Amino acid sequence: MMGRVLREIHILWGRNMRKLVRIPMLLFFSLFQPLLFLILFSQVFSSMAKLPGFGYDNYLQFLVPTIVGLTALNSAFQSGMGMVNDMDAGLLDKFLIAPIRRSSILLGKIVADATRMSLQALLIIALSFIMGARFKTGVPGVLAMILIAVLFGIAWAGISNVVALRTRNAELTMLIGILITFPVLFLSTGFMPSSLLPSWLETVAEFNPITYLVAALRALVNEGWDWTAIWQCLAVTLGLALVTLTAATRAFRRVIG
Amino acid sequence: MAILEAQDLVKIYPGGVKAVDRVSFTVEEGEIFGFLGPNGAGKTTTIRMGVTLLAPTSGRIAVDGIDVTQRPEEVRRRIGYAAQAVGVDDDLTARENLILQGRLYGLSTRQAAEKAAELLEVIDLADAANRRAGTFSGGMRKRLDLAQALVHHPRLLFLDEPTTGLDPQNRRALWSYLRELNESGVTIFLTTQYLEEADVLCGRLAIIDHGQLRVEGAPAALKAGLGGDMVTVTVSSEAADGALERTHAVLAAVPGCQDVTTHDSAVTVVLQDGASQLAGLVRALDAAQVPVARLELAEPTLDDVFLRHTGERLRVEEVKPPSRMLPGRRRRRS
Repeated sequence: MMGRVLREIHILWGRNMRKLVRIPMLLFFSLFQPLLFLILFSQVFSSMAKLPGFGYDNYLQFLVPTIVGLTALNSAFQSGMGMVNDMDAGLLDKFLIAPIRRSSILLGKIVADATRMSLQALLIIALSFIMGARFKTGVPGVLAMILIAVLFGIAWAGISNVVALRTRNAELTMLIGILITFPVLFLSTGFMPSSLLPSWLETVAEFNPITYLVAALRALVNEGWDWTAIWQCLAVTLGLALVTLTAATRAFRRVIG
Repeated sequence: MAILEAQDLVKIYPGGVKAVDRVSFTVEEGEIFGFLGPNGAGKTTTIRMGVTLLAPTSGRIAVDGIDVTQRPEEVRRRIGYAAQAVGVDDDLTARENLILQGRLYGLSTRQAAEKAAELLEVIDLADAANRRAGTFSGGMRKRLDLAQALVHHPRLLFLDEPTTGLDPQNRRALWSYLRELNESGVTIFLTTQYLEEADVLCGRLAIIDHGQLRVEGAPAALKAGLGGDMVTVTVSSEAADGALERTHAVLAAVPGCQDVTTHDSAVTVVLQDGASQLAGLVRALDAAQVPVARLELAEPTLDDVFLRHTGERLRVEEVKPPSRMLPGRRRRRS
């Protein structure tokens, strides 16, 4: 039974990996914006590090974790667009009438999304290393960062798949993705330490799941293994995933029902 | 033996649209059975219920005696399905698409590769096997999609408008391939909006319109069932109002004329013994001074059968494929 499910997931994952290799654009599509932010913001805001109370050696060290998180969020919305394309191309129907489990279709997709997000996060981390960023927790810390960002990304991908399954429109899925990701990102501590945020924003950021993602990643880059931040982030991720993946599964059932 | 059986099949979509309305039919093993009807008649909805993609609102549809809603997985192993919109991954090669399908149906990688190679020969795509499907022409994509539906030796093949969007040459090539496939033992259930396709390909067919099955039978029997030859009288476009109604009345009174129907600017009748009674019909039109633009005598076609049972001519509309977006994906579609 387990072997059968793993086999099905492996087949569907393999299909997505083949596409990724064949069409490198699928790997870089959701990377452009994080790359741009990494390069521009680290320069434009570099003098922010001189502000009293900023607390980091330079802005790059502060920014890199945010960009790693942003990469996962962006990639999450690519997940929904892929779902729309599979529906439009009649491929979802092909999978649905094959004698495989419905859950394998979703799990195969999640595993493929996770792989893509890992590769993208790794690319961002490598580039920031070249730019001069240093990672306090070393290679294990980098792996932990990728894992944390990917888990959060999977939870976030639930939102994009709900939009995709409800609208069946790739453009709309991307637009809604941008409209959700941007405000939520800027309303977090992603670009500014909470001590420098206006007080109302500080309160908002406290209820923003992305703040917890960024805090855990930022600790791994700059401070060390801050288990409190890590467990808080994982708890928030779990809560988010319960909501978004349940909604996505329900939307999926509606489409196939 | 019946391989596909529908009984009082009904599908009402959320919102209340009754797409399929108490449809019953039986497809015997070894047949090519066709659903002929215009867009929106309920053809695709019926197929999607047959292939386990859509649950009927009521009624029953069974493949090989197995209820589609009760044991869908057993049904899935017995059927192949090629939808109207081709279900091909543009980013993969033809061979990769076929291997993927084979593996989803439980073949090992090696078995799937062997099967793919065999099918690529059959559908004449061996030379293009390692090209990305996104670069294929409409005809090639249709053939690849058909091959995908065959990787697991299905006993029953569902084809939703298999030749819509193909040029006449590709259409004919596909017909001959479908016939070969049928001769090799695969039962085919297809939908079409093309009269000629239904006529040439189907051993039996059913006419479906507005969700209802109007008539069912072999094409020749359906045509013979009209009971004579068809005479179509087209009234001059400059004729005064009421000319069409007058023509209708005149023809209805001619002995031997049956089933007088009016549509657009023409009146069609079935003339029991065509040639010999034509003189009387012409005399009657002349006596009533009907402004005739054209008069035709022909053997009945499926179009006449369609008209007789639905009250309308079959209108063919091409459907545009859905728009798509993602990097590397803005490619030509059939």
